Amino acid sequence: MNSPNLPVVSEGSRLTPGELQSVVFPRAALGRRGYDEEQVRTFLQYVERELVQILNDKASLAEEVTRLRSEAAGSQPGVMAPEDAHFQAVRILSQAQQTADLYVADAERYTRELAHEARLHREAILSDAKGRAEQLLEAAHRRASEVAEAAVRTAGQPVPAASGAHAAPVAPDERRRMEQEIAYLRTYSDVYRTHLRSYLEALLRNVDEWESSERASLPRGAPEPPPRG
Amino acid sequence: MDARRLKDSFAQVAAQGDAVALFFYADLFVRHPHLRDMFPIGMTGQRDKLLRALGHIVAQVEDLPRLVPFLQQLGRDHRKFGTLAEHYPHVGASLLATLRHFSGTAWTDELAADWNAAYTLVAKVMVEAADEDALARPAWWNGQVVAVERRRFDIAVLRVQPDRPLPYLAGQSVALEVPSRLRSWRYYSMANAPRADHTVDFHVRLVDGGPVSPVLVRGTQTGDHVRMGAPVGTLTLDESSGRDVLLVAGSTGLAPLKAILEQLARRPAPPRVHLFFGARDRDGLYDLEDLTKIASGCPWLTVVPAVSEESAGHGFSTLLQSGGTEIEYGNLPDVVARRGPWSGHDAYVCGPGAMVEQTAGRLALLGVERERIRLETFADALR
Repeated sequence: MNSPNLPVVSEGSRLTPGELQSVVFPRAALGRRGYDEEQVRTFLQYVERELVQILNDKASLAEEVTRLRSEAAGSQPGVMAPEDAHFQAVRILSQAQQTADLYVADAERYTRELAHEARLHREAILSDAKGRAEQLLEAAHRRASEVAEAAVRTAGQPVPAASGAHAAPVAPDERRRMEQEIAYLRTYSDVYRTHLRSYLEALLRNVDEWESSERASLPRGAPEPPPRG
Repeated sequence: MDARRLKDSFAQVAAQGDAVALFFYADLFVRHPHLRDMFPIGMTGQRDKLLRALGHIVAQVEDLPRLVPFLQQLGRDHRKFGTLAEHYPHVGASLLATLRHFSGTAWTDELAADWNAAYTLVAKVMVEAADEDALARPAWWNGQVVAVERRRFDIAVLRVQPDRPLPYLAGQSVALEVPSRLRSWRYYSMANAPRADHTVDFHVRLVDGGPVSPVLVRGTQTGDHVRMGAPVGTLTLDESSGRDVLLVAGSTGLAPLKAILEQLARRPAPPRVHLFFGARDRDGLYDLEDLTKIASGCPWLTVVPAVSEESAGHGFSTLLQSGGTEIEYGNLPDVVARRGPWSGHDAYVCGPGAMVEQTAGRLALLGVERERIRLETFADALR
C-alpha cells in the first residue's frame, strides 16, 4: 500500500481539478514525518508539465482569435459577422433597385418621346387635311359661282309664264336670283361631294394600310387589337 | 421627446437625399422579403413619397392638432395597400436602422429613444385610424368595367360597377389600380352623382409614359377589373349654400364638376349654373355633346365651351363647328372673366395645376371670396 494514488493521465488529456483533489500521498517511511518526498516531487513535476501545456494551448488559441478577428474586420473572404452580411445584402438590394428604377425611367422616357412624335405627326396630318378641305370648298365655290353666272346669262330673256296659273306669281328679278342660287347650290354640292368622296376613299385606304402594318408589326402570339368601332 | 433634436436629426439625415429612402426600403426588404410584393417595381416615386411624408410629420411634430388628422388619413389610405398592424413594427425597426446608419457619430441613445417614441406614436395613430375605418368600410372595392367609350385617341370615359355600394360625395375621387400595373395607384374623380345602381364614371386622359392611364385609355375593355380605394377629396358641393354656381373645368378636370352639376340638378329648385369647359383645341372638348344635351333640358344651366389654342377659323373649320353651341376662344381664366360678373357665386375649379391656379387668382381679383372658391386639393403626392 506504499504507491501513491496518482491520477492516471493518458497523453493529450489534461489534469482536472477533481483529480488534484483526489490525490493521496503515502505516509513517509518509519521514523520520518510527513509525505514521501520522492512521491511529492514526482507529482509536482507532473503538475508543472500540465501547466506548461495549458499555457501553450492558451497562447495558440489567443493567436487564432486575433487572426480570425482581423480576418473578419478586413474584407477577406471567410466568415462574416451577421451585421456585415446584412449591410452587404442591403447594398446589393439597393443596387438592384436602382437598376430597375433606371430601366423603368428609360422605358417611360422612350414612351414619352414616341408619344410626343406621334402627336406632332397627328397634328401635321390634321392641319394638312384641314388645308385640303378648305381648298376643296374654295374650288367648289368658284366652280359653282361660274355655273350660276352662266345660268343667269342663258336664262337672260324673260321666261314665258308656262308654269301654270296655280304657281305663285314671282317677279322676274326674284326668279332670276333664285335660279342663280339653285344652280350655285347644285354645282357646289356636286363638286364638293365628288371631292369629299375621293378624299374619304383615300383616308380609308390609309386606315387600312395603318391597320395591316400595325398587325404585321405585332409579335407572334400578341393579343389581337380591339375590333374597330 | 425633444422636438428640436428630432428636427435637427432629420434635417441631417434628409440632406443625404434619395440614398436614405433607398437604404430604408432595402433594409426593410432584406429583413422581411414578403413585404416587397406590396410595392411597385419602380420605386423612385415611392421613395419621394416616403421622404416627403417623413418631412411633413417631423415638421409638424409639435403641432398635434394638425398632425393627427394627417396621420389618421395616412393610416386609412394605407389599408388599400394591404398594410396591417403587424407591419408597423417592421417599418419602425428599419426606419431606426436607417436613421442610425445615416446619423453616424451624431447617433446617441437619447436620439434613438426620441425617434422610437415618435415612431411609436405615429404608428399608434395610424393603426387606430385604420382599425376604426375597417369597422365602417372595406380596404378596397373591386370593380368591373361595364362600358368603355374612347372619346379621342387619348381620352376615354369608363363606367365601372363596384362589387358593393361605394358611398361618396359628388366631386370626390378614388385611387384606381389596374391588374396589369399592380401597386400603382392613381386618383380619378367620379364623374357622376351617386346612382341607385352604384355605377361610377371616370374620365381618363392618357399621360404619356404614365403607368396607369395608358392602360385605362387604350388597354381596357368591358369586363376588365379594377380596384378602387376609399373615396377622398374636398372638392365637394356646398349643400348649405343657395348661391348661384360657377363651374370651371379644364380637360378631364370636368369629371368632378359634372358630378357636382348632376347633384345640383337633383335639387327641387337648382340655382343658376354656368359651366365653363375648356380644352386646347376643339376635339379636346370630349364631353361637349353630352353637356349640350343636359343643358338643353335645364333652363338654369349655361354651358360655355372654350378653346385656347385655335382661332375662330374660317371655311371648313367653321363647317365642323356645327354643334350649335357657341365656342369661346382664349385661355379659360380670360373667357370666364369676360362672361362675369361672378361676385355672388360659389366657384368650383378643377383641371391642370396652372389653369386652376390662374383661374382661382382671377376669380379672387373679380371679387369672388376666397372661401367661396373650391379647388381640387387632395394631397396625392403624400400617398
